[in-house]
Amino acid sequence: MKKKRYAMVIDLRRCIGCHSCSVACKAENRVPPGVFRSWVKIIEKGRYPNITRHFLPTLCNQCEHPPCVINCPVQATWKQEDGIVIIDEHRCIGCKYCLASCPYNARYVNPLMPIVQKCYFCRHRVYAGLEPACVEVCPAKARIFGDLNNPEDEVTKLLSKHPFQTLKPEMGTYPQVYYIAADADAMDPFAGRKEWT
Amino acid sequence: MDVNIIYNIEHEMPLGILISLYFYLTGLSAGSFIISTFAYGFGMVKFKPLGKIGVVMATLLLVIAPMTLLVDLEQPLRFWHLILYLRITSPITWGTFLLTLYPMNCVVYGYFMFRGDMKRTKIFGLIGIPLALMVHGYTGFILALGKARVLWNTAIMPPIFLVSAMVSGLAMMTLVVIIKDYVIQRKKEHDPTLIYDLGKLLVASIVLDLILIGTDLTVLLTSHTEAYKAAVMLIKGSFSPLFLGVEIFLGSIIPLLLLLSPFTKRWIPGIAIASLLVMIGIFAMRCIMVIGGLSIPLS
Repeated sequence: MKKKRYAMVIDLRRCIGCHSCSVACKAENRVPPGVFRSWVKIIEKGRYPNITRHFLPTLCNQCEHPPCVINCPVQATWKQEDGIVIIDEHRCIGCKYCLASCPYNARYVNPLMPIVQKCYFCRHRVYAGLEPACVEVCPAKARIFGDLNNPEDEVTKLLSKHPFQTLKPEMGTYPQVYYIAADADAMDPFAGRKEWT
Repeated sequence: MDVNIIYNIEHEMPLGILISLYFYLTGLSAGSFIISTFAYGFGMVKFKPLGKIGVVMATLLLVIAPMTLLVDLEQPLRFWHLILYLRITSPITWGTFLLTLYPMNCVVYGYFMFRGDMKRTKIFGLIGIPLALMVHGYTGFILALGKARVLWNTAIMPPIFLVSAMVSGLAMMTLVVIIKDYVIQRKKEHDPTLIYDLGKLLVASIVLDLILIGTDLTVLLTSHTEAYKAAVMLIKGSFSPLFLGVEIFLGSIIPLLLLLSPFTKRWIPGIAIASLLVMIGIFAMRCIMVIGGLSIPLS
C-alpha cells in the first residue's frame, strides 16, 4: 500500500463561522478552558454598506518542515511517515521551546496536566477509519480531510482544481493545511491591531 | 480600509522573566570567567586581583543559572530526558552539555588557581575560554533559531549576546572590586588603577554593544513588514520605555558619560553608579529580547 500523506483543505467559500469545529475539537480532545487546538479567527472589513466578515479556521499546520521538531531538545515531538506531527506526552519536559518556535501559535501548555499539546488531525479517529472531529461536525463541509497521495481523494481533487493558500509561506514550513479563498487580512496577524499599525 | 478583529485566540507567552534571568546570569558568568583569565590565562599581570573573584563568581552564577531553567520547566522531574533523548539540532541540547562541562571546568580551574599551580591554571583557563563563549553563545542561538519570532531570528543574535555578556561581566567585576576595596576592606590603602582599567574596557565593550544593536535595528527597519514592526515596537511602541529609556539611555549613554567625562572618570562612586546602571541595562536587554520577541502576534 502506498504511503499516506494526510492533509486538510479548508474551503472558505463554504465556512459560515459557526465555531462548530472549535467546540467539537474541545469535546473530542478534552481541551481545557483557556487553550485551543483549533479556533476560528473572525475579522470584519470595510464600512457600511460595504462590509464583510471573513473567517479563518486555524489548527496545527502539520508542517512538512516543522520548526518545533527541529528545536525540541528531547525528541518528544516528531513528524510521522503519514505527515502528522505528534507529541509524546510522556517524554515532553515542558521547556516550551516548541511554543516559541511555532509560527502559527498552534501549541499550548495544558493547564491541568503541565505538558505541551496541539492538534494531531485526530489521529486516534483517523486510524479507526473516521474523520477528524472538526471535519465531521462542519455543517457547511468547509473542512475536508484526506490523503494527498491518493489522486481520487477529495483533498487532492480540490487542490488540483482551485488556487489555494497556506499560512506564512515565507517561513518555509510547507504547511499541510491548505486554504481556498482565504482573506489576506484574516491571514495577516497584524491586520486589525491598532497598536501594530 | 477598516479591519477589525472580532474573534481570535492567542496562547499565553511561553517564556518570560525566568528565561531572561537565565540569559542574564549565564552572561554574567561567562563575562567574569573571561575577565578571570586575563591574568591567569593570558598573563596580563595588572588584572591578577580579578582572577580568583572572577572564577568564584563564574562558578556560583553558573550553579544558580540552570536552577532558573529547571524551575521554568513544566515537568522539572523529567530533566534527565535532556541527556537520554537528546536531539542534536536543538540548541537546548547543546546547552545540556555546555552547562555540564563549563561549571566542571570552572571548578578545576579555580582549584588549581587556589592551589597556586600556575601551569595547570593556565591550561584550564584557556580551555575555559571557548567553553565560556559557547555557554553564552548558545543562549544567543536559542533565540536565533526560534524562527517564528522576528526579533530573535537573526544571525547577529549570538554575537550580541556575547558582547552584552562581556559588558555585564565587566560591570559586575568593577562593582565587586569597588565593594571589596572601598566597603569591605576600607581600612586598607588601595591602588585605584585596576578600577580605571576596568572602566576603560567597559567603555570599549559598551561601544561595541551599541554598534551591534544599531546594526540589528538598521536591518530590522529596512527588512520585511514584520521585522519593521518589531523595530518600531522597540523605538516607539510598547517596549520603547524599556529599550530607549533603560537599555540605551540609563544602561549605555549615562555610563559612557560617567566613564568618559574628565570630571567623573576618576571618581569611584561615579564608576560604581555606571557599573550598576550597565548591569540594569543589560538585564533590561534580556527582558526586551525574550518578552518583546514573544509579544509580536502570530495569529
